[in-house]
This record gives sequence, C-alpha cells and structure tokens, in this order.
Amino acid sequence: MTKKIFPYVLILLLTAPVLGNAQCRAFTKNKCMPLLEGYVQNDNYNSALLVPGDEAEVLLTFYANKEYRLIVANNPVLPDVEWEILDTNNDLIYASKQNTTGAKNSFDFKMSSTQQLIVRVRVPKEESVIPHEGCVVIMSGYKEAK
Amino acid sequence: MTTQIFRTMQIIRWMKPAALIVGCCALLYSCESGSNQQGAALPKKAMDSTDMAKAKDLEKMFFSIPAPMEMASLIREAGFGFDKAMLNSTDHVSRYTGEMKQAINLGIYGADLSYSSIFDQKQESMNYLAAAQKLAREMGVEQALDDKTIERLNANQDSRDSIMKIVSEAYADLNGFLKENDRVEISALVVSGGWLEALYLSTQYAQSGKPQIRQRIGEQKYSLENLISYFSKFGEKPVLNEMKQDLAALKVIFDEVKVQSSKTTTAKDNNGLIIIGNSSSVDLTDETLKKIETKVKEIRSKYTA
Repeated sequence: MTKKIFPYVLILLLTAPVLGNAQCRAFTKNKCMPLLEGYVQNDNYNSALLVPGDEAEVLLTFYANKEYRLIVANNPVLPDVEWEILDTNNDLIYASKQNTTGAKNSFDFKMSSTQQLIVRVRVPKEESVIPHEGCVVIMSGYKEAK
Repeated sequence: MTTQIFRTMQIIRWMKPAALIVGCCALLYSCESGSNQQGAALPKKAMDSTDMAKAKDLEKMFFSIPAPMEMASLIREAGFGFDKAMLNSTDHVSRYTGEMKQAINLGIYGADLSYSSIFDQKQESMNYLAAAQKLAREMGVEQALDDKTIERLNANQDSRDSIMKIVSEAYADLNGFLKENDRVEISALVVSGGWLEALYLSTQYAQSGKPQIRQRIGEQKYSLENLISYFSKFGEKPVLNEMKQDLAALKVIFDEVKVQSSKTTTAKDNNGLIIIGNSSSVDLTDETLKKIETKVKEIRSKYTA
C-alpha cells in the first residue's frame, strides 16, 4: 500500500510550491477581495504559503479615527486558521477562536489612536499522509470619510 | 533478466501517476498565468540552494505597509485639492532603464495613480495606469498589469469607487504576481517606491500646517521601520542596496520623532463597533519635519531623474 502511494506523495511534494503559487493570487482575488466590499483596500498583497503546524505573523499600522475591516482567510486545502490580534506588548485584543457568533474570517474595528498591531495566524496541525501547503491571506481595508 | 524486466515495469508503473500529476500541475499553472498572459513569460532567474531557502522563507512571511491610497485619502479629507505639478510626470517613463529604477518608479507611478483616483481625476488615472503598464512591460511583468485593467478602468470612468477599487486591486495583484514569480525583491522596491512617493506628497502638503498631515508624516516612522526590517530579510541583493541606504538615511532623521503610548484599551461604541487605542502621540518638531522633507525630496529626485 505504502509503495503504491509513495510516487503520488513524492510528486505532490515536489509540485506543491507550484500548486500553492498558482492558487494564491486567484484565491485572493476571488475569495478575499470581495470580503472588503464597502472598504478601500489599504495595504500591499499579503499572502503566505503555509502548512499545518505553521505559525506566522505580521505587524500592521492602523491610523487614528479610521474604521477598518481585517480579513484573514485560507485556502480550503488547509484547516481553518486560528488568528489573533495583539498589541506590540503582546497583549491579546481579539482571538478568532473566541468569536462564536460573527464572521470567523473578518473583524471590524475603529482606531482611537494610531498604533501598530500584530496579526498572528496559526494553521492547526492535522493528521495527513500528504502535508498540504495552502495560501493564507491577510488583508485590511479602511472606510473613507464622506 | 527477470529482475530487470520487473524493475522496468515498476518504473513504468511509477511514471504513470507521476506523469499524470505533473501534467495536471503544468496545466493548472499554465491556466493561472495564461489567463492574462500576453507576450513573453516572466524570465525566472536561476537560484542556488541559499536563494531557494530564502525564497521559501519569504513565501512563509507576511509583510505590510499601508498603501499610498490611505495617505492620499487623508490629504483629500484635510480639504486639499489635486495638484498635478507635484506628481512625477508620465512623460518621464522612457527615462527609466534598469530593474531597480523601473521597479521604484512603478511604485511611484502607483502612488500617483492612487492619488489621482482619490481625487477623481479620470484622465490622470488613465495616464498613470498606462505609464505603469509601460514600465511593467519593459520589466517583463506585463501579465501583472494587463490591458483588461485599462479596459475596466475605461469602462468605469463614472464611478470613483470603482476606479479606486480597480487601482487597489491592480497594485495588490502586481505585488502578488511578483511574489509568486520569485521577484519578491522587485516587489519590495515597488512597495518602497510607493511609500516614498506618498511620503513626498504629504510633505508637500505639510507646509500648510494642517496638524493631521504633520502627525501622519511622524507616524511614517512605523512604516519605515517595517520596510527596513523587510529589506533585511533578503540578505545581500545588489538591486536593493541603494534603496536600503536611502531608507537607513531616512531612519536617522525619523529617529528624532518621539512616540509615546500607554496600554492598549478596547471599548464598544453605540453601534457595537470595537474601538481600539493606546492614546499614542507623535512628537515631530519643525526642524525634523524640514529634514524629512528635504531628504525625501532628494531621494525621490534621484530616482525620478
């Protein structure tokens, strides 16, 4: 059995980066950008190719008196990522795990002062013969003052 | 002999699924990049094992600085009007040769495009997108800013919101394209060019004395630190050296900007929206502002000349 699936696993491992790259930009355009409807997208392209067990973070600057929407989404090839917002002292502000009612992949908020916040994402580990590599996207948008 | 035949058969059995998977991957990849492909494919440079490891690390890393669009929004919200004379003329586009200058000016044109679209300058937006596309073509990354984007912009001339959305998406997509095609250092130059231009524009408006513009300039200390940290992840890349030095020179001045903050608090407004803040304040003296203005103008002039 192991001998039979080995070539598939090997080839998938070798081609995973190509597959990951191919999926990431399309995933961002088709699945993430629409979630920012009503907001002006305000940062550069923020995606990473992660595997289960990976943890990554990014430091984002948010400006005073602005309303923001933060999106954290992953390609379905990965289990749903867990993510947190922390300040630069590592004090927790928001955790997706604690959100049992609202949308799991977005968070709306307003800043009363300009500050940097850390967004930390964690891809849960999973038991799988083939370690899937998938795209994780972090995006934010602001509301224009009318 | 029997063993040899058996081995050959085993190899053939292995090759079938392998060929199938490789074929599917090739097809999938070509579909993705071919959807907006025109002209030559992006030339990929040969990478050694250290480069490969670094590229892999960068694939796993997020990086962000606020896009020029947000700075342009602030300028508009502060009550200022559009000033074409401040922008880098699209007539200069043929001056830019060499990957480094082209990438930085792609970012600069991107910021000017954002500024034009925020102020609802339709013709200028078209001109800047066309100039950016010309640069992208010369850099061999024309797939990232294709004719479809220009067509969409043309078709949505009456909607400012749509224009802003198209511009934001186009630049995010350009950076994504560069990142996916092992040109992530070029993406870093594009981002730094855009940031530099937004900073330059805000310093031009800062002379009016509006406090919100001044404060936003001081707050660029954060973005500058992020940019410098990002550039340091690439190791020794000659194409990045000049910009690295320029950012370091700016940092010396920005180190004079004092930021004070207290513990972060959260609260909810009447609509249930979470309010986050740490009562931070930025102290930017007239002298430091002048130094920033002079330095950023000097750096920008060097790249746009």
